[in-house]
Amino acid sequence: MREIIISFLVVVFVLATQSCGDKEPTGPNTPTDSFDRGALLTDIADNVIIPGYSRYATDVTNLDLTANIFANNPTTDGLFQIKIDFRKAYLTWQRVSMFEIGKAESLALRNNTNIFPTNVSEIEANMVLGDYNLALPSKIDEQGFPALDYLLYGTAESELEVLEYFINNDNAKIYLTDLTSRLASLANEVRNDWTSGYRETFIENDGSSATSSLNKLVNDYLFYYEKFLRAGKVGIPAGVFSGNPLPNKVEGLYSETNSKFLFLAGLSGSKEFFLGSSSYSDEIGESLKSYIEYLDQDGNNLSGRILAQFDVIQSKANGLEDNFVQQIEMDNVKMLETYDELQKNVILLKVDMLQTLNIKVDFVDADGD
Amino acid sequence: MAKNINIKSIALLSVATALTLGSCGDDEPEVNVPVTYEFLRDGASTVSFTGQTTRILMAEELATAMKDFDQSDTDLQEMFANADAVGGDVSPFSDADLNASTKSIRSKVAASADIFSTNTAEAATIKSQMDQWIAAQASEVFLNKEELAEAGKAGQIADGTSTRYISAKGLEYNQAVTKSLIGALMADQILNNYLSTTVLDEASNIADNDAGTVADGEAYTNMEHKWDEAYGYLFGKSSSTASPLADLGADNFLNKYLLRVENDADFAGIAQEVYDAFKEGRAAIVSGAYEKRDKQGDIIKEKISDVIGIRAVYYLQQGKKAIEAEDFGGAFHDLSEGFGFVYSLRFTRDEGSNNSKFSSADVESFTSQLLEGNGFWDVTPATLDAISESIAAKFDFTVAQAAE
Repeated sequence: MREIIISFLVVVFVLATQSCGDKEPTGPNTPTDSFDRGALLTDIADNVIIPGYSRYATDVTNLDLTANIFANNPTTDGLFQIKIDFRKAYLTWQRVSMFEIGKAESLALRNNTNIFPTNVSEIEANMVLGDYNLALPSKIDEQGFPALDYLLYGTAESELEVLEYFINNDNAKIYLTDLTSRLASLANEVRNDWTSGYRETFIENDGSSATSSLNKLVNDYLFYYEKFLRAGKVGIPAGVFSGNPLPNKVEGLYSETNSKFLFLAGLSGSKEFFLGSSSYSDEIGESLKSYIEYLDQDGNNLSGRILAQFDVIQSKANGLEDNFVQQIEMDNVKMLETYDELQKNVILLKVDMLQTLNIKVDFVDADGD
Repeated sequence: MAKNINIKSIALLSVATALTLGSCGDDEPEVNVPVTYEFLRDGASTVSFTGQTTRILMAEELATAMKDFDQSDTDLQEMFANADAVGGDVSPFSDADLNASTKSIRSKVAASADIFSTNTAEAATIKSQMDQWIAAQASEVFLNKEELAEAGKAGQIADGTSTRYISAKGLEYNQAVTKSLIGALMADQILNNYLSTTVLDEASNIADNDAGTVADGEAYTNMEHKWDEAYGYLFGKSSSTASPLADLGADNFLNKYLLRVENDADFAGIAQEVYDAFKEGRAAIVSGAYEKRDKQGDIIKEKISDVIGIRAVYYLQQGKKAIEAEDFGGAFHDLSEGFGFVYSLRFTRDEGSNNSKFSSADVESFTSQLLEGNGFWDVTPATLDAISESIAAKFDFTVAQAAE
């Protein structure tokens, strides 16, 4: 009997000792992962990120030019042109918003470019005072595209009245060009950093630690997908987190026709990043898709399922009204269904993909205090 | 020979186990523990802790006011002391009941029987430290609200999409005050005052409790009430007095951080353990079983001390990670919360002594390392690790367990 107890204890001890070793973080594919991360980083930088920022910097520089022309001489044609350039730059922005790494991260590019809803009362106060420092963190919701959206569409009822508003309001003209010049200088700073050294830094950091380029970029991508594409553009206005819909939190609230297209551009940018392709380049090289296919050889078809889900989301979203405010007020269920499809890809990307790539999530929901 | 030793050890172990199990309160009356924290005398509830709820509410208003740029130094000081500079009556709160109250936060800061009754010099230092943080929030941080913070200069710093307002050393004074209150007000009053035998057994409390003699005009005995006042500093804002775990996280102080620790898989179950100990200890008072009461009190002292230690290490480690990622706004916010929890360590309880796990010199050493030079702008991951290890060494958890 005593022997039995002792051997039992020994077995328990051995089991206990072994179980500690089991907790070692060994990814399922680590032993066979000799994928060339450097090649992937090179292709992503050259085929996706740099072409994206180059186009964005060009578009937003054009917007700044048009805004200055308009501010010097406010005309109907000028207002028409600035609205076109505004929409174009806002759409291009959606394809680079997710790359919050390097200079974009240190400048907090996304926070200074596209925080909505914009703070109308503070914007009005800024224009009255004529004295403001847009570089302060507390000013992030008083600038960028959402603030331009308000200035160009929300300051008066009709287009003619908006024109009159600018003709009669010198501080509004100054604020308008302050906003566009800040957008342009931030964009150029990020683009120039990529083309004058950061590309090489980015590619050389090709390891698999938490601070390696790929681990960080993939986390940035997921953070964008979850918080900005899924929640910001769809979930929050549809009331997923509040219980009741909040249509005044729609992106592009004042222009009234842009919200669906802004979302679709973000969605297509997310899919393109996964594929390693870009609307602004003909080259396609290594990508998350090819990396997953290299690792996931036991027939899970994970990349196929992720791409198929992107298509499901897109076809859901195609059926939505151009103006999400209208969609929410008419039939919010379609918004919620779009959210649900977006959420399915959060699971595939954040759980299945990250497990396959052996990348750890580096962001958590803040504890709110 | 080996076998003999084994037999002997097993026998010894059995004896030891039996002694442990039977050691406490063998001669004491049986204790009937109710399902929830509900105690009656002649059909009337004997549970009462309105004063504790009042102070939690006052502390919440103070915490909110410290982020309101329209508040003056005087407004904030009056909220802390519920009196003006010369002790006159004031009405600083938005809640009229709080203005009508004669109670205050400040009078109960560092005011426990066990640690501070013969240590009023240190108590005065702690109170005036809090006065200084509150004053500096208005004079240093509010003044620079439209400035970008940098090393040596107070102002704003971005933390994701949030804006934090920090001192010249990177500290958010509002976090320093609110997180320090968790120790200096809540934990100190619970662990070192109301659960202390000095307070529970004061004067004729035991004889009165044995005889069922109630306090003047009340349904409770003095001893019952003292125990409930400890309970109130943890559960005073819960919607159900009897079953407060249902809405754990009901306040922004100790209750909230008990929830945070509960949500860490390494410590899951702690909230139930604390609640059960309060309930069993209170039931023991009703039965006059004082050794059993104190055994439960010891559990509460240990677990609530754990909450403070775990959160101190947690925030220091989160701050370290953010510094390594060069996210200074995020780092400073974590370190500000951590700073308050570190300050709160002074009010934890060492098992088996009548004092804290940390001397004032220990805490002074940690806080001065954190604030040396340009403070959080300068602090290194190595320093944060070293402080974390020193803290964890006094507890039964590891830095790794607390860190995630």
